[in-house]
Amino acid sequence: MTRGRITRTILNVVALGVFVVVVFPVFWMISTAFKSDDEIVALKPTWLPSNPTFSHFSDAIDRPYFWADVKNSLIIVGATVTISMVLAFLAAIALAKYGFSGRKLFIVLVIGIQMLPQAGLIIPLYVVLARYHQVNALSGVILTYMTFVLPFAIWTLRGFLIGIPADLEEAAMVDGSTRLGAFVRILLPLIAPGLVATSVFAFVTTWNEYIFARVLLNDQSKQTITVWLSYFLGTSRNTDWGALMAASTLTAVPVIIFFLLVQRKIVFGLTAGAVKA
Amino acid sequence: MTAAETSILESPRRRRFSVGRLARGSVPYWLVLPVLLAIGAILGYPLYSLVRLSFQHYGLFELIQHKGQPVGLDNYRSVLHDRVFWDTLTRTAVFTVANVALTIGLGTLLALLLVRVSLVIRLLLTSGLVLAWSMPTVVAVQVWYWMTNYENGVLNYVLTQLHVGDFFHHDWYATTFSQLSLVTALVVWGALPFVAITLYAALSQVPRELVEAAEIDGARGWRVFRDVTLPILKPVLLILTSLSIIWDFGVFTQPFLLIGQSHIHPSNYLMGVYLFEEGYFKSDFGRGAAISLLMLVIVAALSVFYVRKMVKLGDAA
Amino acid sequence: MHGRTILAAAVVAALTLAASTAAAAVKTPSGQTAGSITVWLQVDAQTGWPDAVAAANRQFEQAHPGVDVKVQYQNWGDHLQKFDATLAGGSGPDVIEMGNTEMTKYMAAGAFADLTSRKSGFANSKSWLKGLAAAGTFGGKLYGVPYYAGSRVVTYRKDLFTKAGIRKAPNSLAQFRFYAQRIGKKNTSKAFSPVYIAGTDWYFAMSFVYDYGGQIATTSKGKWIGTLDSPRARTGLLAYKNFFLATSRASKTTDETRPNPYDVYARGQAASMIGPSWFSCCVGDKYKRSTAQFVMPSHQKGKPMPGFLGGSNLAVPVTSSDKALGAEWIKAFTDTASQRTFQAKGNIPNATNLLGSSVNERAALRSWFVPTAKHWVDVENGNILRNMLAQILTGRLTIKQAASSASDNIASVLNRP
Repeated sequence: MTRGRITRTILNVVALGVFVVVVFPVFWMISTAFKSDDEIVALKPTWLPSNPTFSHFSDAIDRPYFWADVKNSLIIVGATVTISMVLAFLAAIALAKYGFSGRKLFIVLVIGIQMLPQAGLIIPLYVVLARYHQVNALSGVILTYMTFVLPFAIWTLRGFLIGIPADLEEAAMVDGSTRLGAFVRILLPLIAPGLVATSVFAFVTTWNEYIFARVLLNDQSKQTITVWLSYFLGTSRNTDWGALMAASTLTAVPVIIFFLLVQRKIVFGLTAGAVKA
Repeated sequence: MTAAETSILESPRRRRFSVGRLARGSVPYWLVLPVLLAIGAILGYPLYSLVRLSFQHYGLFELIQHKGQPVGLDNYRSVLHDRVFWDTLTRTAVFTVANVALTIGLGTLLALLLVRVSLVIRLLLTSGLVLAWSMPTVVAVQVWYWMTNYENGVLNYVLTQLHVGDFFHHDWYATTFSQLSLVTALVVWGALPFVAITLYAALSQVPRELVEAAEIDGARGWRVFRDVTLPILKPVLLILTSLSIIWDFGVFTQPFLLIGQSHIHPSNYLMGVYLFEEGYFKSDFGRGAAISLLMLVIVAALSVFYVRKMVKLGDAA
Repeated sequence: MHGRTILAAAVVAALTLAASTAAAAVKTPSGQTAGSITVWLQVDAQTGWPDAVAAANRQFEQAHPGVDVKVQYQNWGDHLQKFDATLAGGSGPDVIEMGNTEMTKYMAAGAFADLTSRKSGFANSKSWLKGLAAAGTFGGKLYGVPYYAGSRVVTYRKDLFTKAGIRKAPNSLAQFRFYAQRIGKKNTSKAFSPVYIAGTDWYFAMSFVYDYGGQIATTSKGKWIGTLDSPRARTGLLAYKNFFLATSRASKTTDETRPNPYDVYARGQAASMIGPSWFSCCVGDKYKRSTAQFVMPSHQKGKPMPGFLGGSNLAVPVTSSDKALGAEWIKAFTDTASQRTFQAKGNIPNATNLLGSSVNERAALRSWFVPTAKHWVDVENGNILRNMLAQILTGRLTIKQAASSASDNIASVLNRP
């Protein structure tokens, strides 16, 4: 018993150390957001602001289109993640649990799209979307993001689904439900941690995506929060570092909220995921 | 449904599942149809256009005219005869191996750590990982640059204070090795949260009973891991490795922004940066398309081992 | 039944997607709605002189009732990528701001509408600054209207200069260097630079080359030749190297944005810095009152060193469906009143008859500009000059070696088809 506790304590300390290293850049960002301008450029770095100030936050929020762009980001990311996860889950079931001709081709397609360097697609994609009147429209961005999220989500969910033994599915089908119904009812709770991890990834990637949002959205009232953020750095004049750090902190908030909402499934996963014989 | 299709459903390894009614045969097709439509509608033309562009001389002038000049394999030839291409490829291969090894290795250790620590610490560490993950790349690069900058970077300050040496005014961006090491640290830091959390989620699928049973039998840490945990983790590990290879090979934002546009030079090019510089910065879109497709082929070759394993695993289920 | 419901849902989703894409496939010409024009300005205008933009919009809308102006602000980092996408797919702006070094490449590709016939309609067009006007002209035709310019000046701490016994601005390079050494003796901190210069600040370094009569490249029989390895250019480079090593503690390999010189100045680690005149905005509250500017002196006594003339031009993209209106907006935005606003914000106006006697404007009297070649942008983006300077300053190559290698590179890039 004591041996176990000592190991646990050592591991706890190690984990704390890892936490400090991993979180340091985030800490630095938040700390800078509260520092006065003089402190930010000082020769000797200070860990914590000596006179914390909220002025950078109010400067950031006062910049034009902040709230509009937050709303746009939420809409785009919400729609992309929801639609993509549903479609990807269905497709992943098909790939993992059904044998159908063309299956291998579909897998190759899924993994192949991920291997394409995105930079090459910017202009052709713009041309296609412009033809269908989807430039400068949230729907155009949602469609674009879906094509990036779907392959990755399908690939990952398929992996999670493969790990689940077939006996469970057969047990569910005994009572006469359709195969697909059984899959959804049985598999969904089992791969919940995987679904959550994948959707968090989808959320984070689309929330932070920049270049396609930049090229596809023209009106500042329609842009996303990452594009809004880029205006702090895009000028050839003075960059307001404090405001940039404050703005960056603000843009990270929705991601953190989303994660906190879904983290129970992951953090408590060990107890929830155990298979009862 | 033809006899051929019926027999596929009834082939030996599928015999576990019942054949069922006619509609079941078409169910998988309906399941993948929306995805195919979405991807096809959006990426279909760009993909076709990319291939077509690679066989044309297509610069800014041609872009405006909406018409390129067909030049056959010239773009490919020019790239494959370019010394810079091969140097960059080698450098990127080494970079990718280093990054993937660090990401997967450290990620696995982190996931195992998460399993063993107490609840509060676990919550703290996962929150920390998500915080790191939630930083937009552009911002993360800015913060990393600050921490490592020549004038007042906190890294130089801490290293000097810890008496590791005199790092006053140490220029981390002066040599290629130093630049790419910083980029590696940044990329791995950004990738760890996803890998660690996904692996942790996968670990939760390891039935407790099996682990306890193995431990009762006398197996210790490493053997339990190897015989019980690893087989269940295998699919997820394969996925993460293949994805990491693909992402790290084509990484662009971090090296371009951290090294800085003014320090980017053929001697520190990575493939993603090379594509951007040679194709799009110089507005040589035909060449850019050729490089994109070459990169696709190379990445496919690099990850084929893991992808095949992944596909086989699925078939054996 | 459960399975059927899902099946049905999947089918509906697929059909909706297909239907919506089909319905939206209506071709419209370049996406411009009649009754509005789109203007792309850099974000500098949004933060620097929004009143001038508003005034121009008002003026334009009064002259053209029923047409309103949509201004969309862009970043220097990616505005060309966006522009390329609109050139390919439409929905582009009717007016675009371009950096003066970016113009040639796009003019050569035919990206802009010909404004030559409208030239006389633009305010002060007869006395436009030569550098800006040249940047907007290609093959004898006008494509880009000069917007505003900026030169480089020395921003300095009056108090530190006075403490070192210096009462007047230096009248020659040698004297400046002598002053710098005096200041250095009074401020011996390791991180302190009497003159903060970033090692690879080629805008400043090339000024030395032009000051000694050299240049970056010339044309001969239609081909470009790199001339940085000429004796005069090399003298200039040596003068730069000596000046840098004597006066600056900045990194030898870094550029003039990492860090921003004014950040170094603001924390008291520089007695002076070289850069655009708007640097004085950001010197921090502590030193605001003791900051002033003077013109960078030449090696020849009493003359200013030629300064790089930066600036922007306004053009009408060839994809615009309202070219006439675009040109009218430019007319409103570059009239004398607007120029006075830009001038008040520390910029150089676009015409010689409007020039005042601020330090910035005096420095612009002797200026140099980059070779007007289609592929000059590739030389800049390829960091050829920056690498040459880093090699020279770190001593990895001799000046002769670095300069001739750079010259060869420049020639091969500029001579590309």
